[in-house]
Amino acid sequence: MPASLQEVKRRIESTKKTGQITGAMQMVSTAKLSQIQKHTTSYQKYAQKIRSVITHLAKSHLLDSATVGSGKSQNGKINTLGMLKQRPVKKTGVVVITSDRGLVGSYNSNVIKQTMQLIDSDKRNKDNTVILAIGGTGADFFKKRGYDVEYEYRGVKDIPTFREVRPIVNNIVAMYDNEQYDELYVCYNHFVNTLTSVFRAEKMLPISAENMGSDDFNSPDENGIAADYETEPSQDAILEVVLPQYAESLVYGAILDAKTSEHSSSSTAMKSASDNARDIISSLELKYNRARQSAITTEITEITGAQAALE
Amino acid sequence: MDAKPTIVVNIVTPDGSVYENSTSLVVCKTTVGEIGIMPNHIPTLAALAIDRVRVQTTEEKFDEIAVSGGFMEFSDNTLSIVASSAEKREDIDTNRAQRAKERAEKRIEEAKQTHNVDELRRAEVSLRRAINRISISNK
Repeated sequence: MPASLQEVKRRIESTKKTGQITGAMQMVSTAKLSQIQKHTTSYQKYAQKIRSVITHLAKSHLLDSATVGSGKSQNGKINTLGMLKQRPVKKTGVVVITSDRGLVGSYNSNVIKQTMQLIDSDKRNKDNTVILAIGGTGADFFKKRGYDVEYEYRGVKDIPTFREVRPIVNNIVAMYDNEQYDELYVCYNHFVNTLTSVFRAEKMLPISAENMGSDDFNSPDENGIAADYETEPSQDAILEVVLPQYAESLVYGAILDAKTSEHSSSSTAMKSASDNARDIISSLELKYNRARQSAITTEITEITGAQAALE
Repeated sequence: MDAKPTIVVNIVTPDGSVYENSTSLVVCKTTVGEIGIMPNHIPTLAALAIDRVRVQTTEEKFDEIAVSGGFMEFSDNTLSIVASSAEKREDIDTNRAQRAKERAEKRIEEAKQTHNVDELRRAEVSLRRAINRISISNK
């Protein structure tokens, strides 16, 4: 009998308590997940509206002409049409969205690993890559490895609203305008369902036809925009409003998506932790009962032995 | 003729739909001037100013919604206003707006001193947003 009765009993107790905690955490994550999913649906309405307008403008070949025609910064004003312009890529901005806390299973390591792969490919290195970290884990990781972390943000709320995220988003877009980098990738885990998340690296800036979802171009009817619009004041002026809004909504969408996947992987991780706790408890209980039984058996043999000796 | 044609107004922000109603007149301000939309208006796209959108509810009454820029899209008697933020008059947090106003004013001062044009422009936009909210909620 390897372990004493007391010891096994104590282990059962402590495992039970851990199991209780992970069980509670699982429930919290699941609740957050369903909340954020509700939020995401309302965001998608918004994103779809913007996209349909952009697609419409793009279809009137505005994007092409704008790409050629503009790009000069006029007297310090942020040049929105610059978002369309392909600059020669000297620096690449990579937004890495991770979580602030642990206990989310392979969520963080997955994002970081794949981001590293992205950076290593395409001849990018520490000198021409700028990291923008949303979430502490990513920020710490890349700082430790000597990357240029230009921007970091910790403490994204569990259910991020646009109002909270707006400063981050504005910052990211403004840094692009200031030519701190010439293209922008956003790396995050895309939520597929509660069991799966897929890593995604999306090129968000400069805005081009390919990152607007090219399938939209082929199926215009789904967007419900077919009519010719009167524009007020001019198409260029509208683009100037819509494009930054579009860029902001893209980044916000990525953050939402990443948070959704964070909650779901946290919920999954906690679920497997609780399951493990249950397994351990049942095997410990078996051990405990065996030990108890053998103790009783020894006691009985001793008593009967003593009895026999007396007679 | 049956019922008079109406417009369905829908104001969406990233945080969900803020306002939905049907009406016969919407007045909003674009970057170059006011525009009134009535049923069967031709399809229109317009960039909006940081200002109020007024939606007629009864003969004399208007609902007022503060929008911070964005754009509107009108087709098939459906008006969608897509803005990064929007609030109905009763939802405006005046204290918050007041604080935002003071903050923006301070930022403008600093930006003027440091000659930071970008920052100045951004601060001016947030000041306009704050003033817009305050003026709508005070009506």
